[in-house]
Order: sequence, then C-alpha cells, then structure tokens
Amino acid sequence: MSPIAIEVDSPPQSRSFMRRFAGAPLPWIMPVIIVIGIFYLYPVIDVFRLSFTNATLIGDNQDYTLGSIVNALSSPQLPDILWATLIFVGGSVIGQQILGIAVAVVVIRGEKRGLFGTTILRTTALIAWVVPGIAGGIIWQMLFSEAPYGALNSILRLMHMPTVAWLSDPAIAPWSTLISNIWRGTAFSMVVMYAALKAIDPSLYEAAEVDGATASQQFFFVTLPQLRAAILVNMILITIQTVNTFDAIITLTGGGPGRATEVISLYVFNIVFRNYDLSGGSVLSVLMLIISLGLAFVYASFLPKEEEQ
Amino acid sequence: MSGRTGTRLGDAFSYLFMLVMFIFFAGPLTYLLSMAMRDKREIYRGAARYIPQNPTIDNFITVLNNSYFPVYLWNGLKLAALSGFGVLIVALPAAYAFSRFQFRGKGLSMMGLLLFQMISPLVIMVPLYRYMNRLGMLDTHFAVVMVYIALGVPLATWLLKSTVDGIPRSLDEAAMIDGCNRFSVFWRIVLPLSAPGIASVFIITVIAGWSQFLVPFLLLTKNDLMPIGVGIFNFRGMQTDSSIQLLAAACLISVVPAIVAFLSLQRLILGAMTSGAVKG
Repeated sequence: MSPIAIEVDSPPQSRSFMRRFAGAPLPWIMPVIIVIGIFYLYPVIDVFRLSFTNATLIGDNQDYTLGSIVNALSSPQLPDILWATLIFVGGSVIGQQILGIAVAVVVIRGEKRGLFGTTILRTTALIAWVVPGIAGGIIWQMLFSEAPYGALNSILRLMHMPTVAWLSDPAIAPWSTLISNIWRGTAFSMVVMYAALKAIDPSLYEAAEVDGATASQQFFFVTLPQLRAAILVNMILITIQTVNTFDAIITLTGGGPGRATEVISLYVFNIVFRNYDLSGGSVLSVLMLIISLGLAFVYASFLPKEEEQ
Repeated sequence: MSGRTGTRLGDAFSYLFMLVMFIFFAGPLTYLLSMAMRDKREIYRGAARYIPQNPTIDNFITVLNNSYFPVYLWNGLKLAALSGFGVLIVALPAAYAFSRFQFRGKGLSMMGLLLFQMISPLVIMVPLYRYMNRLGMLDTHFAVVMVYIALGVPLATWLLKSTVDGIPRSLDEAAMIDGCNRFSVFWRIVLPLSAPGIASVFIITVIAGWSQFLVPFLLLTKNDLMPIGVGIFNFRGMQTDSSIQLLAAACLISVVPAIVAFLSLQRLILGAMTSGAVKG
C-alpha cells in the first residue's frame, strides 16, 4: 500500500552501513554539538581566559594578569550598576510574575464564564511580547517623553495635574524602565502560568468547594501550592532574560540620567564596545553569568522534591 | 442568592481588571500608531490628538522612500528566515535522537543545552567578535546567521523534542518492520507528523532573529548589510523632536511584520510553548 515497504533498491552493504551509522545517537546530535561548541562553548571558555588578561578590543598583544579582575571589581561605579541591576531585575521578576498569574487567572475565569474580551486581552499582551527590544524602547520613550508629544505627561496636563520627569529624574527613571520591561515581558509569564493553571486537577477544587473553602482560600491553599514548580521555573527564565536585557534600555534612557538605569548588561556593552576594554568586559561578563546561574540555583533549590529527580 | 451576587461581583471585577490590562498592553501600541499618522503640527498636541485630526500616511512614504529602510527590511527578513531554516536543520536530528534513543548522558546533555540558553549573547559576542575579525568574517551575513542559529538551537531542540515525543513510537516500529532505516523513518514519518511543531519553532526563531540587535550591531558595519533592528536604532539617532512622527512610522514598520507573523501562527506557537512548559 505505501511506498515505505518497497525500499530494497539500495545495495545491502551500504544499507547495513547506513543502519549502523543511523542507529547510533551521535551522528544525529553532531550538528548541535558542532554549533554549540564553536559558537557557545569555546567563546565562553575564552571569556574566562580573557578575564585573566589585559586584552583590549583593538590590539593583539595581551599579558596574563589579575589586574583586570581587581580593576573591574573595585571600580567605584560597580555598586551603582549592581544596585540598578537589582532594581531592574528584582522588579521585573516580581512584577511580571504577579501580573502574569493575575492575567492568567482572570483569562481562565473569563473563558469559563464566557466573558467578552478574554481572547483580545491575551492576544494584546502577546503582541507586546513580540515587539523587538529596540522598538519597545522607542515606544516607551514616546510615552514617557517630557517633550510636548509625551503621552503620559500630556494626559497629566489635560487633567491639570503636575507632570512627572519620567526619564530625567534619577529617582524616577529606574521605575520607568521597569514599567516598560514589565509591559514587554508579562506575556511570557502569562503563557507559562496559563499552561500550569490548566494542568491543575479540577477535582482539587471540587474537594475544596465541598469543604466550604472561599474563592481566596482556594487560590492560596490549592492554586498557589499547585503552581509552585511552574512559578519557580518561570522565575528562573525571566531572571536570566532580564539580567541579559539591554537593548530596550539603550533606546529608552541610554543608561541615564547619570548612571541611574545603567544595568550590568548595558555596562558590559559600553565597556567592551565603547571603551574597547575587552578584559574588563570579560570579567563583568563572568560576573553576569555567575549572577544568573547563582539565582537560578537558588530558585531551583526551592523546587518541590519530586521535581528534582 | 449570595453565591449569585458573588459571581456577578467576580465578573465585574474581571471586566475591570481586563480593561485596565488591555489599556496597559494596547495603549503604547495605539499611541505609536497615532504618532505615526500625525502631521508635523499635530505631534505637539500630545495625547490631546490621540485620534489625529488630519491622519496621514505621508510619514510611512517618507521613511520608505528617503532612507535605507527597504534594505533594512529585506536584510532583516533574510537573516531571520535563514536562521529559522538553519535552526531546524541543526535541531531536528538532535530532537529525534533525544526523543528516540536511549544513551548515557542524555539527561545531562539536555540540561547542558538549557545552561547554554542561560548565557547572555553579550558574553559570547566578545570573543566571537575577535574570531570573526581575524577570520575576515565581519561584515558577512553568513557570520550573523551562524550566530543566530547557535542562539536559537537550545530552545528549538527542547521544543522539537517534546513534539517528537508526541508521535507514537509504534509508528516508527511499524515502519522499521516494513524495512525502513532510521533515516527514512525520520524523513517519512517523524518530519511530516511534526509539521505543526516545526512550523512554530520556525516562527519563534524568525521572530527572535527579527528582534536581534546586538549580534548584527557588532558584526556588521556596512549600512547596506544592516537588518531592521540596527537600522531603526541608527535611524533613531538621526531624528530630532520635530521628526518624531517619522521615527514612530519607522518603528511601526519594524514592529508590524513580527506581529503579523505571530498572529497568523499564534495557536501553533502557544501550543508548542505550553506543551514544552508543562512537560518540562
């Protein structure tokens, strides 16, 4: 019936070779190993090596030294950078996680009750997620701008309220970048939480209902514990994502005013590709890596036991 | 009775929350559209002219005529599409192997792939820039596509593995009994049946490539090689407050293809993401 059965035209010798070759996993995985090896593994090893040198982006000469590590880590700017990173990453993770759960819960409730607009909301949030980082920065600059065309301030003016220096006040600018990042990233958390909520066994809610649990009791004693693994995995993913984000900030504030919104990824970018300081940038890249992985391990240690096998 | 009012109250609260969220997510995009369709005088009216009095498409025409924008768009599309194909070529065989073979270190190498996903492109771009420089591969689209492929492969392998996991093994076995070798099983059974997963991974990779800024910004210097992400960044640097409507139009042009691509395959993409997320 099918052409699959009639495959005898290749000579037996090459067929047995093919079978042996194709029967082992290695040839199938080889392309991934090569690509990852050349473009990920080797560069990462080289970043570690470079952080023990005094290499620059322009020259070819380099000596091995610990000076770059000492310099980069004792830089007087580093505490400010780390503080800005903490606000940006911590705020994004908390904001995207809470908003993601809230939207997912309401969307699921809306679907059950047949409320109007649930699909529209879900799709709109996802559209924000697809917007390229550079474009996202430009969009939010138009909203936050203190020029006459700035959306938020012109709304405040229409309502005869005092305007806000969204991007030029060092105390406010970090929160502005945070809001724009929550706008872009919430949809991802929403998708993960939506899938996790759908996977909860409905009989748990029926049992809770029989026991007379209120809606909020059901949320805190059934929903949240059931979501625990999904929340932690999601937090790992958004933490790493946010630590690495800089394109949205580069167009929104450029790291300013002063250094108020210069997060570590933007700092690394500036050091390497504006100051040509390759070794210093490598040291900070390693630091970035350690922060991401460290946080991931901390979250992972909170995962429920049966997930760890 | 009280249960009914409780449900009503819940509905009202749901509607209110959805409205606020809708304004938060859609507001910025509609404001971008509003700005892009204003003439020079109306941009200074801010939110008071949310719906422009004299809507115009002149800004789009100006942007597409007077700049490199068509070139940027073409480059962006080319790089994103090539990386989409490249990711599939590299990741599909591996996804098949991870799904169907039992071998030592399988779980470990799957976890290893995720670890690579955690590494910022910024970290690897530092050494890669030097190699490309030495190999004379700066200012080539080949180098950019190869890096895009590397960035996309870990996630793609995970998503494709969960797709292949969803195809019953009995189909493989039946085909093998009928005389198929592994290659023809892969080619004739697994690939066609994974089509939805393959399509969504392709679109996810293309959208990620379209959004890329760092890789082309560093590896390319010639203006006629730049993709849209870098193009719009450079375009922004040339604009002033009085040409903000042009920037808005350019920005919208760069956003729309990603949105269209996403919307047309939304169900597939969400399906691939959620099945991957639930199964871990």
